[in-house]
Amino acid sequence: MNQDIVFEVLGACDKRRAERRNFMKLAGGAGAALAGASLLAGCSSNDDGAIVTPSPTPSPTATPTADENVLNFALNLEYLEAQFYSYAATGFALPTDLLGGTGNYGQVKGGRQVAFSDPAVARYAREIAADEQQHVAFLRGVLGSVAVAQPAIDISADATGAFSAAARAAGLVGAGQAFDPYANDQNFLLAAFIFEDVGVSAYKGASPLITNKTYLEAAAGILAAEAYHAGLIRTTLYRKGLATPAVIDATEAISNARDSLDGASDLDQGIRPIGSASNLVPTDSSGVAFSRNAGQVLNIAYLNKAAVDRGGFFPAGVNGTIRLSAASG
Amino acid sequence: MANDTELLEAFEARAKRRECRRDFFRAFGTAAAIGGGLALASQSEPLQAQATLSDGDILNFALNLEYLEANFYSYAAFGTPIAPMLTTGPGTPGSATGGRQVAFSDPAVAQYAREIANDEIAHVTFLRTAIGATAVAQPAIDVGTSPTGAFSSAARAAGLIGAGASFDPYASDENFLLGAFIFEDVGVTAYKGASPLITSKVFLEAAAGILAVEAYHAAIVRATLDAKGLVTPALIDATEAISNARDSLDGASDIDQGIRAVGTGSTQKSNIAPLDGNGLAYSRSAGQVLNIAFLTKAATDRGGFFPNGVNGTVRNSAAS
Repeated sequence: MNQDIVFEVLGACDKRRAERRNFMKLAGGAGAALAGASLLAGCSSNDDGAIVTPSPTPSPTATPTADENVLNFALNLEYLEAQFYSYAATGFALPTDLLGGTGNYGQVKGGRQVAFSDPAVARYAREIAADEQQHVAFLRGVLGSVAVAQPAIDISADATGAFSAAARAAGLVGAGQAFDPYANDQNFLLAAFIFEDVGVSAYKGASPLITNKTYLEAAAGILAAEAYHAGLIRTTLYRKGLATPAVIDATEAISNARDSLDGASDLDQGIRPIGSASNLVPTDSSGVAFSRNAGQVLNIAYLNKAAVDRGGFFPAGVNGTIRLSAASG
Repeated sequence: MANDTELLEAFEARAKRRECRRDFFRAFGTAAAIGGGLALASQSEPLQAQATLSDGDILNFALNLEYLEANFYSYAAFGTPIAPMLTTGPGTPGSATGGRQVAFSDPAVAQYAREIANDEIAHVTFLRTAIGATAVAQPAIDVGTSPTGAFSSAARAAGLIGAGASFDPYASDENFLLGAFIFEDVGVTAYKGASPLITSKVFLEAAAGILAVEAYHAAIVRATLDAKGLVTPALIDATEAISNARDSLDGASDIDQGIRAVGTGSTQKSNIAPLDGNGLAYSRSAGQVLNIAFLTKAATDRGGFFPNGVNGTVRNSAAS
């Protein structure tokens, strides 16, 4: 089927998807003719970052394709998740041979092993840590020489760090107070909750942007893994919330904080039961998981509803061509 | 959820998108004939006619699976099959028989059952709307507890029960969770396997959204079995046995895992997410999915949970 016809039909139907398509054209290097892609409408002060030549760049041997730009965007998120879980589960960072590449390499700030009290939660942390490290290795393997380097990542427990800022936005800690995701099982699970559903919505939102069928099926496989993880975290929080209802409240607060960052539509749900049913699966009324576009995902990663190129968990921004958060507020 | 205005807007946006989907599907339907062959038939469907499969064919295949899941969970959670208005369409219609409400002892498991039932019914509704007039009818579905029924046959293949005995997935929380376990990972692999075959970007994103939900469901079931398995280790053994039984049906490659933890001591990892060495979920072709649904490793067109087969053009299990 003719792609242009497909895009015409979709474009007439769904503005948001059209924006994504334009975004992809931009990311693919054809952005000059772009007219009014609202994703970037609010970022004139940052439009020098729309097409990025990594600097310093270690002699790139190839220009990434549009698909590779999407996978590189995902790789940034996997670096973040993998480092968080690796520290929490084992006390160690990822091996350094999984971190190099194009763009600006950055260090990880913070992170330490959790002294888990529930052995089951410790096992879950080790499982997820291993999965996320495999995702990093897998994506790097697929991307080869065009894989981006790990950018600077803040997973610290500092009062000025990203986790504390996120927790403060959710009202879990007060002004000047720190949120320590490594302090105990509960904090670890809530910190994991901050990421997990976002990863699902990011891969789902990216799925129609991927052209290569092999990449697409692989991305679907990672999407499924992230949803398994999210389901595990939500189920465990819910079970603990039966004894400690504040845990349920905290997930609602984090969900609302995420929603306040990524635009007007409600794409996010905590785990408070709805009527007589649990709510361990965040879905729309059709029973379908939510999508976030790359800009919305970066709103949450940067902890900023404005169109910017850094902040929050990525103090120096992500690497690759897809690096601007959306103008969502 | 946010306030009512936002909710309303979200519903309107959704309705609009659904309308677009219908328009798009109509447009796609006319163009499908020139749409280049899909490779499903070449993968592992020797009985499959080498005809070009449309997205509608693929979504109709998924709809059959959703009918099965929705009826099982609806019986278990509410004591009734899904509404008759959700079962009409072309093909050979049938009833979902043999289920009943579970008298749950753990209120949380009852809540999970109701949530999953609602989601699966929503998937049936969503797919029927997306496919439109060509959405297939619900085929005959066996979710009963007879010793000769599908659940008992599956449980017997896994060694959970002996010859002539029956497995009743409605008898207890544990049996319900094991009954759910039989389906859940299969749904994930089915949607993943179908993902590269879907041409429409709209349908693809929707299918990705259903894939995600099936994985959330699978994680709920696996995590809950894992927690209960701490007290009742036989539950862990049962998941391994069911997984092995599934693997014995769908071909030589090992694409299935129970929930037994991996390793020992301070490095032991749980196995809630069944993934390959790259951290990716597995894929099953439609033929492999039907091996499990029909409970046969042979190429055939009916059996197991679908005594009269599934409706639509994708209907043959693989020769596995």
